[in-house]
Amino acid sequence: MGIIGKRVAYYPGCSLEGAARSYGVSTKIVAKELGLELDYLEDYNCCGAMESKNVTFMGTMLLNARNMSLARKQGHKVIVAPCNGCSFSLQRTEYFLETDKAVFDKVNALLREGGVDPLDQIPQTYHILEWFYHEAGPQKVKEKTRKPLRGLKVANYYGCLYTRPHFYARTYAHAGGQDEEARPRRRETADDDEHPYYMNALLEAAGATSVEFEPMHTQCCGGPHSLSDEMVSEKFVMMILQTAKRKGADIIATECPLCHASLEMYRHRLMMKGVPDVDVPAAYFTQLLGLAFGYSANDVKLKDNLSDPLPVLKKLGLA
Amino acid sequence: MAIHERSLVEPERILRKERLVIDGVDVSGDWNLIILPRVINDYDLDFGKEVLNTPEGKTINQCYQCSYCTSSCPVHNYWDERYNPRHFIYLARLGMIDELQKRADVMWRCVSCHKCTHRCPKGVLVEEVVKAILHVMAKRGLVEEYPSKKFDKFFTESVVEYGRIEDGELLFGWIEKQGYKVFKDPILKKPIPFIGETPEWLKELTLKPIKSMNIGFLVLNAKHMLVHPRTKNWSKFKHVLRKVMQEEGALN
Repeated sequence: MGIIGKRVAYYPGCSLEGAARSYGVSTKIVAKELGLELDYLEDYNCCGAMESKNVTFMGTMLLNARNMSLARKQGHKVIVAPCNGCSFSLQRTEYFLETDKAVFDKVNALLREGGVDPLDQIPQTYHILEWFYHEAGPQKVKEKTRKPLRGLKVANYYGCLYTRPHFYARTYAHAGGQDEEARPRRRETADDDEHPYYMNALLEAAGATSVEFEPMHTQCCGGPHSLSDEMVSEKFVMMILQTAKRKGADIIATECPLCHASLEMYRHRLMMKGVPDVDVPAAYFTQLLGLAFGYSANDVKLKDNLSDPLPVLKKLGLA
Repeated sequence: MAIHERSLVEPERILRKERLVIDGVDVSGDWNLIILPRVINDYDLDFGKEVLNTPEGKTINQCYQCSYCTSSCPVHNYWDERYNPRHFIYLARLGMIDELQKRADVMWRCVSCHKCTHRCPKGVLVEEVVKAILHVMAKRGLVEEYPSKKFDKFFTESVVEYGRIEDGELLFGWIEKQGYKVFKDPILKKPIPFIGETPEWLKELTLKPIKSMNIGFLVLNAKHMLVHPRTKNWSKFKHVLRKVMQEEGALN
C-alpha cells in the first residue's frame, strides 16, 4: 500500500464526460468513499486511443505528452486513467519517451512549439483499478461497504489493455536484447498479467461472488475495430457474453468505457439476431462498488447502461 | 510446420492423390500428400530495413520465429487462420513483398489486443511491428484502402480538429461513411438520429434512454452532438500536430 500516492492527476478521457458519464460519476464517488483524491486534469485532450497510433506515431506521442505536461504543471508525478485505452496510450508514450532519447527530444521541442511546457520529468500512468487496489485495497472496501452485494454473481471482465502488454511502463530498458537484466519486467504494482484479480478482490470485498471467467476475462471485445470490423467484434463479444452466462453470472463488471460500449452494443445486436445466452447486462465495477457503499441506483447512473442491469439488481434487492 | 500453420500453404500447392506411383514405386498411403515447391521471383531486403527504421518497428530483428504471438492471437484462433503475425514478420524480414501482398486482405484485422506483444519471449513489440509493416506497405502503395484505416483516419481527424472526440459524432459519422443516408440539419450540419436512414440496431439503442426517460443522459449527449466538446487553447497545438502528420505523410 501507498506506492502510488493518495493524490494523483486524474485523466478521465473523452468518453467519461460523454456517453460513459456513469463511469465518471461512479469513479468519483468511489474515490471519495475510499479517501482518495482525484485532481482533475484541466483542459486535457484525447489520448488518440487505439486509432491515432495507426495513423501517426509522432502525433500520438504529442497528444499524450501534452497531457503529461499538464499533469506536471499541476505538480503531479502520477496520472491515473480509468480507461484501458487511455492508460495504455499514456503508458505506451511513457515507454517510447523513456527508451528513445531521440523521440523524447523531438517531443519536447514540438511541445514547446505548440505552446505547452516541455516535460522535465515523465509522469507515470496507472489504471484506476490498480490505484484503488494499492491505495485503498479490499480491506478498506470492506470497511466502507454498507449494503453488501450479497448473492450477486459477477463475471469480472478486464479487457485487453489492462494487463497487456506488461512492460510498456516502468521498465526503462529497451525491450528484448541479449542482456537478461534489460529484458522487459513487470512493474511492481501491476496486476497478474494472465490471471488478473484486482477487480475480483475489490468486488468480493464488497460482498459479490466472482464466477470462474477464464480465459474470457481478458479476451478482446473487438476494441478499436468494434465499428470498422463488425463481424470479428460480434464474434468476440458473443464468446464473452455466452461464457459469462453459461458460468452463471448475473452481471458483467467492466472497467473500460470502450469495452463496456462494445459489449452493450453487440449484446443488443446479438439479441436482435436471436443468439442464445447473450443477455447478461454490463455495469462498471465502480457502479457496483457505489451501490455497495450505500449509494442509490440513480447516484451511480445505472440508467445510463444501455444493457439495463437494473432488473437483475432489483431482483436481488441491491438497487 | 506446426499444424496450426497449415494455412501458410496455398490450397493450390497441396496435391492429394488416392494412388501415387513415382518412378514405378507405389507410394500411396502416407505419402499421398505433396506440397509443390514455392517459386520466389523477387525480394526486396530494403523492406525489412525500412520497417526497422520506424520507431514502432525497431524490434523486428529480435524475432526468432517461435510463433508464440500467432498461437496467442485471437484473430488467428477465432477468426481467420491466414492472419499470422509470425509469418508477416518473417516475410517482411525476407522482403517477400508479393507474399505479403497476398495477405494484405487480412493484415489489417489486428484488434490491438496486445497478446502477441505481451507474450513475446524476445520482447518484440509484435503488434506495433505488424502495424509498421502495414504502414510501410501502404507508403509504397502495396495495399488497398482497408476499413480500419478509414476509421483510424476519421477518428484521428476528429481528435486533431477538436482535441477531443465525441461518441455520437463518431458513431453517426462512421455510419454515414458506410453508405447510410444520415439526415443532417441544414444549419449546423449535425446528424439527427431517428429521421434519416440508420441501421435498426442503432435506432433501438438510441431509443433506449428515451424510453427509460433518462433526461440527464439525453441532454448531455444532445449537447455534445450540437456543440462538439473541445480543448481550450488548441489551435496552436493543432497546427504543430498537422505539421508533424504532414512530415510523416499521414495526411494523405
